[in-house]
Parts: sequence; structure tokens; C-alpha cells
Amino acid sequence: MRLTRRHFMALSSAAGLATAFPGLAPAFGASSGTSVALLPSQAPTGWKTVLDKANAKLMEEHGFTFDAQFINWSNYAQQSLLKFTAGAQFDTALQALWLNMAQLQQSGALADLTGQIDKWPNLKKQIAPKLIEANTWGGKLWGIPQVNSAGRIQHFGIRQDLADKLGFPEINDFETLERFFYAVKEKESGVTPFALASQTGWQTAVATPTGLFNQHSWENPYTMQYSLAGSGLRFYFDKDAAKTGSSRPIPWWDDAGTVEALRKIRQYYQDGIINADGLNVDQATIESQFGAGRFAGLWSITDGLQSNRLAGLKKAVPTAALGQVLPFGGPLGSVKPVQTFQADNMIVVNANGGDVDRAMALQDWFSVQENHDLVGLGIEGTDWKPVGEHSFEQLSTYSFPSYAILWRAGLERLTSSMTESEKKAFGWAQDYDNFELDTFASFIADVTPVKEAAAQMNNVMTQYANPLFYGVGDVDAGLDKLKKAADAAGLDVIMTELTKQGDAYLKARAS
Amino acid sequence: MTVPKARAVAAGSRRRGLSSRDSLVLLLLAVPGIAWFLVFAYGPMVGLVVAFKAFNIRDGIFGSPWNGLANFRYFLTSGDAATIVFNTVFLNALFLGASLFAGLVLALMLNEIRGGPYRRFMQSVIFFPYFVSPIVISIMLQVILSGVGGRGGLVNNLLSIVDLPQVSWYTEPGAWPWILTIVKVWQLGGYTSVIFLAAITSISEEVYEAAALDGASRWRMALSITVPLLLPTFAVLVVLGVGRMFFGDFATIYAIVQDNGVLFPTTDVIDTYVFRSLRMIGDFGTTAAIGLFQSVVGFVFVAAAVMVQRRFQKESSIL
Repeated sequence: MRLTRRHFMALSSAAGLATAFPGLAPAFGASSGTSVALLPSQAPTGWKTVLDKANAKLMEEHGFTFDAQFINWSNYAQQSLLKFTAGAQFDTALQALWLNMAQLQQSGALADLTGQIDKWPNLKKQIAPKLIEANTWGGKLWGIPQVNSAGRIQHFGIRQDLADKLGFPEINDFETLERFFYAVKEKESGVTPFALASQTGWQTAVATPTGLFNQHSWENPYTMQYSLAGSGLRFYFDKDAAKTGSSRPIPWWDDAGTVEALRKIRQYYQDGIINADGLNVDQATIESQFGAGRFAGLWSITDGLQSNRLAGLKKAVPTAALGQVLPFGGPLGSVKPVQTFQADNMIVVNANGGDVDRAMALQDWFSVQENHDLVGLGIEGTDWKPVGEHSFEQLSTYSFPSYAILWRAGLERLTSSMTESEKKAFGWAQDYDNFELDTFASFIADVTPVKEAAAQMNNVMTQYANPLFYGVGDVDAGLDKLKKAADAAGLDVIMTELTKQGDAYLKARAS
Repeated sequence: MTVPKARAVAAGSRRRGLSSRDSLVLLLLAVPGIAWFLVFAYGPMVGLVVAFKAFNIRDGIFGSPWNGLANFRYFLTSGDAATIVFNTVFLNALFLGASLFAGLVLALMLNEIRGGPYRRFMQSVIFFPYFVSPIVISIMLQVILSGVGGRGGLVNNLLSIVDLPQVSWYTEPGAWPWILTIVKVWQLGGYTSVIFLAAITSISEEVYEAAALDGASRWRMALSITVPLLLPTFAVLVVLGVGRMFFGDFATIYAIVQDNGVLFPTTDVIDTYVFRSLRMIGDFGTTAAIGLFQSVVGFVFVAAAVMVQRRFQKESSIL
């Protein structure tokens, strides 16, 4: 369009009025400019086309545009932290407890979003009150939770075709799963029964509320681990703290069933049930080897995305099928595991340079099915096509990191290739009533008073605990070294501080 | 102090020989270099104040309160400091010595190749590993040492052929200084050899012709002419390498070892230790303190190396 002198005068007047009378701004939309978001991963194929279409609609409806700065996952934690530190101009970023969210909040880098959700009808409709409640720290909301289910339960994704072939059509308990793994080892040459990847090893033994090989937690999924500074030391508060008023934290190795789990893992390592390179091999490599048919099982989570592995796997093993085994000593619904309902992913707003209204308007805009589909799945007919009311079939390689900015449980479409087994597990995980809220659900440790000890504890866990989680080395000798190193790093100091913070949390919760 | 007459005259003539126009041209030529150093080397040094501050994201570098030497305490009081400092120096000394030696030998060998295309091909082949990413190297190493699933691998297959027991390489810390050294030689040998080859081309052909007239073999010429004349280049590379010695070669070591705690007793260096312990804490003050500590020790190393070089080979000293 040619910009005539009349157009220019009109635009100048509008800009002048908007500047002189900020109160008039809503007449032109919620905000203006571009809402920049820091997102992990890479720009999807065809991103520009999708973004242009989304921005045309967004501009028309709200008067601003959206842009994403994609940062590779391997650098995301450091790069996003640096951008906050350097005072970079952006509205939102993906953050999480396992990233730097607690640190950012404690240093005042995040905008307070308390009460904001109520102002945005589409967003309010899509975010469950329980989710807001659980993700509110000290009475304040510091981020918009991005979840597609109520509880996230780690479990086993298995080759159902092998399970059927070996006589295990239904696996509902630990013993049956173990027998399946040994049968694979014995009868399926070249297939390792279960794959462990680096970084997630602690989940083999530490209950969250279940540990993969922690048989005790399968029967008793009622303890929830908390972590200091995102990772490092994981610990448990007393299960009866709500009654006694005393938090009494313990390190993870003192929780019932954990040491037995470590022995089990060691046995699996020696018997070849798990891979021997878990300490070194990353998740992407494990996924590709699983896709090549080299493993009979791998770590999974109830996020509804696990069936996506099937298409790749079928290329290597045309008869392959997938199944989900949830770590409970019985069928789904027989137990009510504890959860914190804390979101793994949160969208936070940059307090120093971010525009809260614009960020919230974008979150609201993403909470409309059409917009959610456009950015999350791409162009309808080109990148995807609807199947039924809530499913879709992927037509291109467009892959947007929806989990990082626009996950809404009620708007998520399921892939048409989702297995019946995953549909069942995912459906169960979407219902808040299937879980028990943990006493310390909103507890976030403030690491500042024990910063040095916490930093050293990160090292202790990597050096001495990781080998135990992968079965490398003797359990007793390894535990002995771990405890000595933890003591030297300041375990007592940390535990004293956690007790103080835990007790204060209980007191505040009671009042 | 009396200035010897000859030197004073020479200095005077140099001064007289350089007009103000020439000086200006030289200064202009130097401007991009000076600007680069100011912007990328000296400017960021202002940020080192973070090492003495209780850094807070909201208050920023200059607004955060001072906390003396508290940020240095974390590393120096950790029980692992001695092992980590030893690993840093030992591994990097191995890398430096082995890659320089390999580069020198490869340069001598390449120099003996007479066929131009073949020599250029070989040069490209041995230079290529320099461009391979540490991540790719780590994957290649896993395939070679441990195979899919951590059981097997090319090396273990070879051991089996000669009836030797298989080794779980990723749980054997003792072998890793040598494995990493082999990786560094593979990676840097060709690159270093190119520097030596460049130095060889500056050696006058007449020297070799005189040696040939005296009946020297190619081997004798290499040992008695090429190697001694390469020593200044060798010394400069040593000094440069020593300056980086305390920086631990983070990219290669972290990509290969990752969070495999079993290997830490022999592979953990300052950078990997700090990265691991602080990546979740995100404390820039402590990170800057460690960086400053490394720089100061690196400076001491370089100064010592230069002094040694000046003592034994003053004419090739870089300072």
C-alpha cells in the first residue's frame, strides 16, 4: 500500500494521541509493537508462513505482533538467564523450577501476574483454578502454567508387539514388567530390554511420587520429592507434616525403598537389562536407537506425545506396536498418587522491559482454538488436518514447541496415531480428581542462604549419585562415598535451612 | 645510564626514517586491531567486578552489593580443588605436549612428500579433524569405545579378536587422560603441522643444498637443520599454549565426559566443575570469580614460560 500524505497525517495523529493519552490506548488494541518470547528448540519448518498468518490476525484483533527467539535446548538455561541479566527487551520466556525460575523470581526479575488471569476470559476458561492455586508461590503468581494434563507420571513406554509375542499382553505390576524384561533379554537377540538416558537417571530410584525401579513407590505413590535449586539435592518432607506441623526433611537416599531400588538397578546393569552407557548417552540418541528397534522400552511421561514415536519405529520394525505401563501396583484408578500440580513449564513475563498487558493478551489469544491450532500445528490443510473433533493428522514436518508457550489442556488435539494404551493413560492424567495434592505442593526452596553448599551439592550428586542411578559400581561403597561427600559439602547446613523453610511454609499454610 | 653509541644511532635513524605521515598510516592500520581489543578484550573486563559482588539480576552488575572475596571461597574451600587443579594442568600439559610433538612430526613427514597433489591431499586429510565438532567426536568415541547400549564397540571387538578381555571404557577413569590425549592429537595434530610447515617454507633452500653437498641424508637434514630452525616456532606455540593451560579445554572434555561422575577423578577440570555446580544456581559472581582466578593463574604461567624462554632462547622470545 502506498503511504499518502493523508495516511501519514492520520497515523501521526493517532500515534500522538496514543502517546499523549495512554488511557486511549485500548481503543487501538491491548498494546502495540511486538511481543517477543524466548523459546527453547528451533524454528519449525515453515515458521515464517505460519507467523505471517498469525501476526495478520493478531494485529487485527489486538494491535501487536508476535515473534519468537528460538534458543537451542542445550544453551537455553544459560542464554535465557543472560538475557534477563543483560536487560534484553522481550516480553516472555519459558521458565521452570528445573531451569532458573526460582532464582529469577527471588531476584525480582519476573513480573507479578497475580490477578491477571481473571482479566482475560479466554485464558481463564482454559486454566483450571487448581492449576493456578498450585502454581502460586507465597500468595503470588509468577508465571502462566503451560500444561496439557493434571498430573505428570513417569512410566514405561514398551514395545507392545514384543510383550504380546513373549506372552505379556497386559503388564500391571512390577514383577510382570521385570519378567518381560528378562524374557526380552533371553529371547530377543540384539534388543536391550530398557534404555536409560543421561540427565534423567535420578528418576530410576527417586520417587516423584514413583521411581521407575523403586518397587516400594509403585505400591506407595504418596511421597513427593522436592529439589534444591532445580536439581542437585532431592529431598522429601515428612508425610505427616500437615498433622504434626513439623516438616522434618530427609535426603532422597533415606526414603523407604530407594536403596532397594539402587540394588535392583545395579542388578539390571549387570544382567544387561538396562544399557551400560546410560551415564553418557543423551535422550535424543536413545530415542533414535529405540526408533531403530534396539530397545524394548524407554522412559515416558503422561504428556500425550509418546505415541509420536510409533511412526519412526514402524519404519525399522513394520510390525511394531507401543504400550504404556504405568508404575502402580494395579490398574489405573486403584491408587491416588500425590502430585504438586506444579507446572513443569511456565511462561514468565520479564519485569525489566516486558509488557505485561501485551504478554497476557498473547496468552489469551493462544487460548482460542483457532489461534492455538494455527501456531501449534501450522496451516490447516498444509501442515495438518483434523481427524474427528479432538484429533489431527500431521501432514508436514512443522513442529512448534507448544509446551513452551501455548499448552492448554482443553485445546490440545491428540495425534490420530495415539495408541489406545496412551489414550487411556493420558485421559486419566488429565483429571485432577485422580490425584492427591501434596502438603508442600507450592513450596519453593530459597537457595540464597545456602548457595555455596547447594552449588557443591550439585557436584556431589553428579559425581557420586549418578553412577548409582545407572547401576555403575557397587551400591554400598557408592552410597558410603555419596554420604561422606554430601556431609563435606554441607548437608547439615542445607537440611537445617530446609527444615526452617519447610516449617515456615507449614505455618503460613495453616494460618 | 649510557646508551651504546651504535644502538643510539640506529634508534635515531629509525625515528628519523618514519615520517609523521607514515606514523599516521600505521596508526590507521592498527585502528581496527586496537578497536577489536578494546571492545572484545578490555571492555568486558569491567564485568570482572561481578567477582567481588553478591550479584542480583534486578540490580545488575553495578547495583549489586559488594561481598569481598566471598565468591572465591566456594571453589577454593571445596574438597575437590586440589584434584581439579591437578587435572586441569596435567591434562592440558598432555594435550599441549602431544599435539605439538605430533604436529612437528607430521610437518617433517609432509615436508618429505615430493608429489604436490598428494601432499596437498594428505594435508587436507590431517587438517580435517580440526573442524569436527566436539559433540560429533563424543558420538564417534562412544561408537568406537562402547558401541550401541554400552556393550561392545570397535576397540572391544579388536580386543576380543586377540583374546583380551573387554573393557568398560566409560567406567575406567585411569584410561581417560590418554584417550583424551589421543583425541586431541587427532584433532590438533594436522592444524599444528600446518603452522610448522609454514615455518619450514621460510628456511632457506641454500642451507639444505649445502648440507646435500656435504653428503647429509634427508633424515640428517631434518634432524640437524629443520628441527633446530623450528624451535623458535615451537617455543612460541608452547608459550601461547601455556597461557591457555588453566582453561581446561571445556568444549572437548565436557562433550565427551558429560556428567559421567565415574570419570571425574581423572577428567574433571576447573571449567567442567564450575559449569556443573553452577548451571542450576546461575550465580554469575562465583562464575566470574573462577574466571578471574583462571586468568590470573594463566597470566602467571605465561610470564613464567616467557621468562624461561628468554633465559634459554632470547632471540625468539615473543616479549
